[in-house]
Amino acid sequence: MTPQAQLRRIGWIALLAVLTGFYLMLHFKVQAVHSEVVRAERRIVSLEQEKLLLATEFETRANQMQLAAWNQVDFGYVAPTAAQFLEGERQLAALGVSGLPGSSPILMAKATVDDMPALPVEADVEDVAGRVLAVAETGEAPRDLRLATATLASSGRVPLAALAGATTE
Amino acid sequence: MNSFAAPRPLTPARVPLVDRRRHALFTAQVRVLLFGGAFVLLAAAALMRLAWLGVVQPAPSTTSMADALLPIRAELTDRNGVTLARAFPAYALWYNPQALEDGGSPLVKSPQSVAQELAAIFPDMDAQDLAKRLASGKSGYLRRRVLPEDANKVMEIGELALELPRETDRHYPQGQLAAHVLGYVQDGQGYVGMEAALNDRLANPAQRGQPVALSIDSRVQGALEDELNRGMRMVDAVGAAGVVLDVHTGEVMAMASLPEFDPNHMDQEGQSRVFNKVTNQVYELGSTFKPLTVAAALDAGVITDLSRRWQANRPLAMGRFRIKDTKVYGATLNAPQAMIHSSNIVTAQIADEVGPARMKQVMGNLGFNERPYIELPARGFPIWPSGEWPRLRNMTISYGHGIAVTPLHLASAYAAMVNGGVWRPATLLKLPEGEAPRGRRVFKESTSAQMNKILRMIALYGTGRHADAPGFRVGGKTGSAEKPGAGGYRRTTLVSTFASAFPMDDPQYVVIIMYDEPKGTVASSYQRTAAWNAAPTVKRLVPRIGPLLGVYPDETREIDLASVAHLVGKSEK
Repeated sequence: MTPQAQLRRIGWIALLAVLTGFYLMLHFKVQAVHSEVVRAERRIVSLEQEKLLLATEFETRANQMQLAAWNQVDFGYVAPTAAQFLEGERQLAALGVSGLPGSSPILMAKATVDDMPALPVEADVEDVAGRVLAVAETGEAPRDLRLATATLASSGRVPLAALAGATTE
Repeated sequence: MNSFAAPRPLTPARVPLVDRRRHALFTAQVRVLLFGGAFVLLAAAALMRLAWLGVVQPAPSTTSMADALLPIRAELTDRNGVTLARAFPAYALWYNPQALEDGGSPLVKSPQSVAQELAAIFPDMDAQDLAKRLASGKSGYLRRRVLPEDANKVMEIGELALELPRETDRHYPQGQLAAHVLGYVQDGQGYVGMEAALNDRLANPAQRGQPVALSIDSRVQGALEDELNRGMRMVDAVGAAGVVLDVHTGEVMAMASLPEFDPNHMDQEGQSRVFNKVTNQVYELGSTFKPLTVAAALDAGVITDLSRRWQANRPLAMGRFRIKDTKVYGATLNAPQAMIHSSNIVTAQIADEVGPARMKQVMGNLGFNERPYIELPARGFPIWPSGEWPRLRNMTISYGHGIAVTPLHLASAYAAMVNGGVWRPATLLKLPEGEAPRGRRVFKESTSAQMNKILRMIALYGTGRHADAPGFRVGGKTGSAEKPGAGGYRRTTLVSTFASAFPMDDPQYVVIIMYDEPKGTVASSYQRTAAWNAAPTVKRLVPRIGPLLGVYPDETREIDLASVAHLVGKSEK
């Protein structure tokens, strides 16, 4: 074998070694990324399952029967009456005032309330609503519905949602 | 090498030398070939690996996640997407005495103290019983379902033997709500409700990623069950049934049969309650059939003038049988008056004029001769008199006796009567917006319009007064039928029904409320009839569900009664 041929052979072997090295590096890199992806997927699956579990728990705790039971004891909301609905934009426009100074495109609705009756709360509910408890715990004034009504009346501006059937013109 | 060119005899000493040389050459050639082959193979392997990495591999890794997230059984939701049934991996509490792997005591603390701690987390578990099971050293479930926060508390006890495996579980977040509509699942098989009806669809791997939307609205269902429960307790009834039906599409908005079972905990008692009173139990629904008779008469042209009067103060004698009223309201009554006062005598005379053949045809068109149309597996077959109806049978059927149908039959029939006359099958699956089955015409549109006025007048001036929810223009008919018992009807055991629709100026929904064997209590003014139990339930229910279904109360609107109010001695409201 001539020295050139020997050199060429060594060259080929070195090239092969270098390429194999590159290949192995690439292979390990790919494996590393792949396992990271798999781990991320597993985490996504586990988080999705956790989310599902928590959502289900939330839905279970807030199911229709539970809400009805809470309403019966704590809130006493009853179905809205006809007077609590505004029918169409015409009725809403009847409550409109030019609220903001200048030519603002925002329209305001306002209803003056002289003696706003309490929101339709069932009588036996107020006793168990736990307002006194709230005072003892927080040290704040009782957040009575009537107080809220009075505040609203003195400010002269009532949000439409709070009108609750007591709309007076 | 020329020495080989010219053949000449080899000396014996040269022969092995040539042989060795040839052999060495051959070995070298084979080695080169093998080496080259190995290189080619290596290069091919590397190329294939590259191709594999680039083309094939990413695909399976993405489907693996989709597989893991694919539920074992499809979800059931209500029409607004609220989950009604869901399969998800839940925690269970498993006792594994071998967890410590040291062959000694399975628990670090004493079984008694661990049992105490577990009982503190799960108040419904018995500490002594638990201690016994922990001490026995046998593995097994301590609890099938554990909430995540309770699972954390169990982990805090610090016992390795208490394991919390995650198991796939069918859960009904709304508890008992719509139990008869949903049914339950045991060992992967659905029973009773839509779980049974849609079993293949729900378990199909190709489809179970997509939830199935039912037609019911969980809020309406909640309100219906709440009011039915309340009404049932007030009148001490043994059972109750209710259904809310969209008159234009046949979609069931709510369906309840009380007492209910809990699909999350099926037990012996639950099994005894799976019978669906709305779709499976047939009842003689009594006077609620009277409007159907009048509609048949209007349609057949027997009543061309609503002011026409029939005698109403003498019982009709048919052989030994006598058709009579509980109270006499006058010598003669017209059809609207007969409906308002619920007169058997007048209704029977009207049916007699319509004739048995026509009556049978109308009742058949309303679906009373077959099982109700609904997806549920449990559907009761009506008691439907076959053959030609004799005259007396026709007359009793006109006021709802001698024929027994399910409350769902009645709901579909009322929907056809008020929606302009088209009968459509009821469905528990949500229909796409604006789509409804074609249905079949049973009544003329004009008949339907007349009947809406009459139904509204019953709720304004007649037996349905207690159902008149302000602003909702409810119309409907009461029906209180005696239940058949040994040797005839039992006078004191009633099935009280109120069949109604709202708003009558443009009917959208039919509401059927039925109480099985209500008692006379203080709440019902010691009355057992539908006017005192089922009708007030409708009055409480409709304002709750109306706005949810897009029907708003309006006291300025009313169906036009100008042409009929004078017939019942009222000036138009």
